[in-house]
Amino acid sequence: MGLKSKVAIAVLVVFLLIVIGGLFFPVPQPEVHLSANYGGPSPEPFYKLGPIYITNTFIAAWLSIIVLIGFFFFATRKMKLVPKGLQNLAEYIIEMMLNFVEGVTSKENGRKFFPIVATIFLYVLMNAWMGLLPFFNVIGTFHTGTSDTLLQTLAHTIFPALSPSLGQYSGPIIDVPLFRPANTDINLPLMLALVSFFSVEYWGITSLSLRHYLGRFLRFQQLLQGLKQLVRGKIKPALSAILFGILDVFVGVLESLAEFVRILSFTFRLFGNMTAGEILLLMIAFLSPWMIGVIFYGLEAFLGFVQAFIFAVLTLVFATMAVTPHESEH
Amino acid sequence: MRLLGAGLAIGLGALGPGIGIGILGYGAMQALGRNPEARGAILTNMMIAIAFTEAIAIYALIVAIILAIL
Repeated sequence: MGLKSKVAIAVLVVFLLIVIGGLFFPVPQPEVHLSANYGGPSPEPFYKLGPIYITNTFIAAWLSIIVLIGFFFFATRKMKLVPKGLQNLAEYIIEMMLNFVEGVTSKENGRKFFPIVATIFLYVLMNAWMGLLPFFNVIGTFHTGTSDTLLQTLAHTIFPALSPSLGQYSGPIIDVPLFRPANTDINLPLMLALVSFFSVEYWGITSLSLRHYLGRFLRFQQLLQGLKQLVRGKIKPALSAILFGILDVFVGVLESLAEFVRILSFTFRLFGNMTAGEILLLMIAFLSPWMIGVIFYGLEAFLGFVQAFIFAVLTLVFATMAVTPHESEH
Repeated sequence: MRLLGAGLAIGLGALGPGIGIGILGYGAMQALGRNPEARGAILTNMMIAIAFTEAIAIYALIVAIILAIL
């Protein structure tokens, strides 16, 4: 059997999977929600604990917290000098991350940043990977109904003799799932971004002095020097100093703006990537219910890892930048 | 018209970051070819730079989703 016929067979199998799966086992058209959902009938939220709305992303977030705490709790019972089983795995994960963090920054800074960076990494990763489990987006309140699918319309247009209900979905359609990946709720990335932002500022202020740290954003030194020279009557150097001073103040404003834009960028990067992945998975399941989605599950698993890595590493890099004394104040 | 706007938003918004990530990958590959020992450092820095570039596409994507479903 040559390579060409193998490829032809593979293409045929994929085509059959799409057509048969789509026509005889259709999936309803997914509804895309950008905001998290409360359970129950929509006007009166069902899950409510005092003033707190228990949204489905909230449940998922706490589920991943419980899984993480449980894992490290059981891993650190009965600790031995020579690790075995769970303890071995936990030590392997922690050691790998610690080595990486210490490699990016210095040794003592690495020790200082490690808890928050590692927690962000593990939490985002756990949220992303838990969202791929099969009970997410499946359990929940539903109504029974029919939903047109793409293949149905296609088949009916090409072969008008086919019955129009072939490939039409009828059955339960999920309105509000009980679990939804926590990263697809914008509040969680925003919270993580705020944690990252405030810890970076805290590290920056404590390791440099407050005056030193704020010196990066409030750059009036050169301007004041220029004004002083103007008062003393040295017009020519004063003018250039004032000009560069104004430029320097502007640079400071830009720096502080960039500091705050980080929150926005952190939030939307994680939220957008995870939501896009979620929509991609739903859409692929809708377009071809059989098998093809597995590839995209693999892609999403990888992307979840990359996003967790990026969130943690960016926090680490910003923290390193914040604790390093800057060059303008030798 | 709203759907057209959504399509244009993500289509045009992905154009720039696509070119940017291409340039980044080009640079990283070249660096890797010249200095294969620095693989880890190049990979990390490439990831960070890609994250910055990709964020712009993500903004466009969110605008597109909001336009499409609201």
